[in-house]
Amino acid sequence: MSTPTDSHFAAISRLLQFTDSTFPVGTFSFSNGLETAGFENMVNDAETLREFVWSQSLQAAYSDGVAALHAYRAFKEGDYDKIADADKMLLLFKMNDEARLMLKRMGKKFAELAKKLFNNPIIDRWLEEIKAEKTPGLFPIAQGIAYAAAGVSERDLFVAHQYGVVNMVLSAALRCVKVSHYDTQKILFDLSDRVEGLYDEASKMELKDMNAFFPELDILASLHEKGAMRMFMN
Amino acid sequence: MPLKPVEKLKDNTIPEVDFSHAREMQPYLKEPPQMYVGAPGKHGYLRLGFELDPRGKSILRDLDRRVPLIAQQELYFDEEMPEMPCLYILSSGGPNVDGDRYQQDITVKKDAIAWVSTGAATKLAEMRFNYSGMIQNIVLEEGAYLEFMPEPVIPCKHTRFICDTRLNVHPSATVFYSEIYMGGRKYYKEGELFQFDILSVCSHGERPDGEQLFREKFVIDPNVVPVRQLGVMGQYDVFANVIVMTPKEHADKIYEATDAFIDKDKKLAVGITHLPNDAGLLFKVLGMEPGPVKKIVREFCSKVRMEIKGKPVPPEFPWR
Repeated sequence: MSTPTDSHFAAISRLLQFTDSTFPVGTFSFSNGLETAGFENMVNDAETLREFVWSQSLQAAYSDGVAALHAYRAFKEGDYDKIADADKMLLLFKMNDEARLMLKRMGKKFAELAKKLFNNPIIDRWLEEIKAEKTPGLFPIAQGIAYAAAGVSERDLFVAHQYGVVNMVLSAALRCVKVSHYDTQKILFDLSDRVEGLYDEASKMELKDMNAFFPELDILASLHEKGAMRMFMN
Repeated sequence: MPLKPVEKLKDNTIPEVDFSHAREMQPYLKEPPQMYVGAPGKHGYLRLGFELDPRGKSILRDLDRRVPLIAQQELYFDEEMPEMPCLYILSSGGPNVDGDRYQQDITVKKDAIAWVSTGAATKLAEMRFNYSGMIQNIVLEEGAYLEFMPEPVIPCKHTRFICDTRLNVHPSATVFYSEIYMGGRKYYKEGELFQFDILSVCSHGERPDGEQLFREKFVIDPNVVPVRQLGVMGQYDVFANVIVMTPKEHADKIYEATDAFIDKDKKLAVGITHLPNDAGLLFKVLGMEPGPVKKIVREFCSKVRMEIKGKPVPPEFPWR
């Protein structure tokens, strides 16, 4: 297994490129239910935002994060079928309509971009099957594939995945919760200490082990899906 | 791989219920020094088969039960649907104890209807060595209709419980499958909320040809993730999860007719969304006490019944 020090100059640069907020996969347009949590006054300051973001982080680690790691390993093995398995299995697990839509849109965009960045038959085939609706084409799978293709280590992929989840919510928070840049940066900074523990667990999990128990987040997402608030997608 | 459909027991042995492969149960595999795992009386089995009789009436045609699970005969007490067989699952053993294993197989054959519940809340006792595990296979054939609405599950301190439910449902059939979990014995001593060791609950839906539709799994380990954290249970003590597998045209109408809301005064929260692969709906309720949560689940069942059968669910019996 790769170690963090394995990533070379180009790999680190690409890691930064793929996690940049300007990387065109549409991350900016989703709030993951935060908009509703703000409206319901459940998230109204830095402390409640921190709890909300930590729940999002945990929820993603043991589902999307696990699937991303499996896609990464499958790509390294050159095993397309395993990539497709991880993609389909993650979709079975995605209970929220808007979450599925978000991950499909971002996954397809990432796959289209990856086709242009990498000259790789597995990526080409995955994009074709997404377009033919033979595979869902979810974002964490795209991350697993692209980070593997870019030579980024498995741990770095997981860190980038977590960073993406947390940063997406914190970016939205600046527009729908009364918090400052100082607050959001401090939360991001502090939560970074917890990623290693999440990786230790997620990296040992099979696809069938993916799990999540966040009913309050689920209900917030449902309210957003049904509601009239539409500054963000969910 | 799709599991085999529900079959009658060939050599009179009860199917094994074993979760020793489950990652989250690894710390809980010691043999209890009291009655061993799977001892007679600690390995319940129930097979219920509903079907139409020659006159077109839904009846309980097939019944096999092993202690401590008990099911008596079907009754026809639903005043809105007197044609529907209603059945209570009981347990002669009191609560689920350390090392208990259960399997419940329910089949509703072509065009038959049924209602299944439990006689009282399912209590999960304190466990020190092993765990209590349950497998459920629920199979609905073409045009079948099942309301599965058991009483709440109440875990105690150090409960370990794992449940795997397979819903094998024909595209034309409808199943209403609900589960209500209490945080614990809220009013016992100083209160015993979320002091269980682990609850692992997996429900997965599939078509008769084995096509997988959705897989929901929650592993609740209060020692790993604080249950009171915002986004998990927050301030709430009771959680209900309802899966409705039904054709898309019905699911869309039920979704439209159902509100999602957070009621801060009554401390209730309700959400609904579509399951993946057009399998149906997922409905969740959070509350403080089982009564109001059960009422919301029942009202939701009434919406489903109204859409599918054109009839409401009658008011709950006053003693339930």
